[in-house]
Amino acid sequence: MRAIRSALGRASLLPALAMLAVVVALNAWLQPHFFGRPSLESNIATFAPTILVCVAQAVVVLNRQLDLSVGAGVSLINCALAALPADLPGGGWSACVIGLALALALGAVNGALVAFLELPSLIATFATGAVWFGLALALMPQPGGAIAPGLGDLYGADWIGLPVPLLIVAAAMAVWVALGRHRIGRWIVAVGSSPGAAYQAGVPVRWATFGAYLTAWVLVFLSALTISAQTLSGDARLGQTYTLTSVAAVVIGGVSLGGGRGSPWGALLGALVLGIIANVIYFAGIPSIWQEFFKGLVIMAALGFMVSGQRRRVAA
Amino acid sequence: MTGSRRLLLLIGLTVALLLAGQVLLPGFLGPGQIANQLKIAAFLGLFGLCQTIVMAAGGQGLDLSVGATATFGGILGAALLPDVGNVFAGVAALAAGLLVGLVNGFGIAVLGVPPLVATLAVASVLDGALIVGVSVLHPGNAASAALVAIAGRGSFGVPNIVLVWAALGGVALWLLLRSAWGRRLCATGSNATTALLSGVDTTAVRAGAYALSGGLAALTGFLLTGYVGQAFLGLGNAYILTSIVAAAIGGVALAGGSAPYLGVVCAAIMMTVLVSVLTAIEVGESGRQIVFGLILLGFLVLDRRFARSAG
Repeated sequence: MRAIRSALGRASLLPALAMLAVVVALNAWLQPHFFGRPSLESNIATFAPTILVCVAQAVVVLNRQLDLSVGAGVSLINCALAALPADLPGGGWSACVIGLALALALGAVNGALVAFLELPSLIATFATGAVWFGLALALMPQPGGAIAPGLGDLYGADWIGLPVPLLIVAAAMAVWVALGRHRIGRWIVAVGSSPGAAYQAGVPVRWATFGAYLTAWVLVFLSALTISAQTLSGDARLGQTYTLTSVAAVVIGGVSLGGGRGSPWGALLGALVLGIIANVIYFAGIPSIWQEFFKGLVIMAALGFMVSGQRRRVAA
Repeated sequence: MTGSRRLLLLIGLTVALLLAGQVLLPGFLGPGQIANQLKIAAFLGLFGLCQTIVMAAGGQGLDLSVGATATFGGILGAALLPDVGNVFAGVAALAAGLLVGLVNGFGIAVLGVPPLVATLAVASVLDGALIVGVSVLHPGNAASAALVAIAGRGSFGVPNIVLVWAALGGVALWLLLRSAWGRRLCATGSNATTALLSGVDTTAVRAGAYALSGGLAALTGFLLTGYVGQAFLGLGNAYILTSIVAAAIGGVALAGGSAPYLGVVCAAIMMTVLVSVLTAIEVGESGRQIVFGLILLGFLVLDRRFARSAG
């Protein structure tokens, strides 16, 4: 247990925090009233789906696995929500239950393939991602359908004085903190840090990996729910960019793809950095044809900065 | 699954698919049709070679930038065609691809960035740069008559691009399976520490593998321009997913250390025939994705079973 705690302690969030400070400062400089409540509220509403999918990826990566199907999963859940009949009894709430059940089923498939059939996670989830995307396209060949309107209203509302998107992200992080206090969360990290040692110590390695996927897919569901509440329709290509964004955010957040090192908080910071970079590029008035290029360059620089920093720390 | 058993399975599947195609759509087995299938398979097979090389190098090797690099090769080659002629345009595309691959290789082998992340980052920068380049410079994008002939026409009933594939594939088989460099590549992939201790410059081998993949992707993109008639943004994107599937089905392990390109060749042909059968029975994009995903999973499970019974 001490080893695990020190592994958590070593998860330095400083580089990601520094990057966040820089991009926030740039954004605040370029965008008047960035710190005003309307701007903060709209930003958190926009960033929430990305943050949630990045934290989901971090949970799997901490277990020394990957999930390249999260983006297609977001699309599939979104299309399923949009394909539900408008007169569904229970409205938004039953839509949530169905979406969560679907997410858990998808996560269970990925978890079973990786944990019990021992398939390499990168290529196995790449394959399931193709299946999820195909299913989403079958449900929604063209963008369309409608999300229960109650979900959109709820997403834009305040509760106990705080915007709902912020509360959803906070709840997701609380789930991780609660898991970390329970042995399941520690098992997930312990297996990622050293599967052999964890096995020797009596950790149920397979169930820990399966649990990591299930936990991640609860977050994938929340990501799909929050993006659906904004678009209010179904689109099989909606989550396409999420998979790779989530991997980039995880690396920028200092979570090692080698497993066991880092924390979902880092992924949250990474997702914020990526989101705010997009803001900065928009508000800097860069011509639209240059935006993709600059975004790519900044992400490449951030990745290089993180990875070379990690190598120095390992060498030291 | 051993190499020969996998080849038999892939060839058997291809034959079964061809027969099924003939039943569903009489004329499916005509010589013109077969030649056409091989033509399409050639491009997939060449992109599959990119993945074969980098996957053999180990360390979770993958090249997600093949799509962007192929687009780059196509756009650059087509832009230069009117001024410098076919050969130099091809050489320029190849050189540009090698350069992109070297950037990948530097990030992966020297800086230690995971291949998934490095090639993705390079692809996004390159895609962004291509948008800028095309919007600002408005380069010519038409393929020349000679390029169209190489990529789209045939000689004595055999498509020229299949001959190109056979030549490049033959060189690749020699390079990967017989040459000293191929042995170093596979040694690096199966155990980088052992390879390093036995005198292999693993950094150079890995970087070289990505450079080669980039050069090949750009050259294939240039040829693809001849096949479709013009270069455009997103030209190579469809091959990112399918090239990885072809390599994995063909028996290249993500763990590295082996480069069974003959299996990838069979996988590329099988997948191409599969797509045309699916098209014949009017299965669209969604069904195709599901079938590809399930086939890849099926092969992964088979591999796992055989590895277990062998161990």
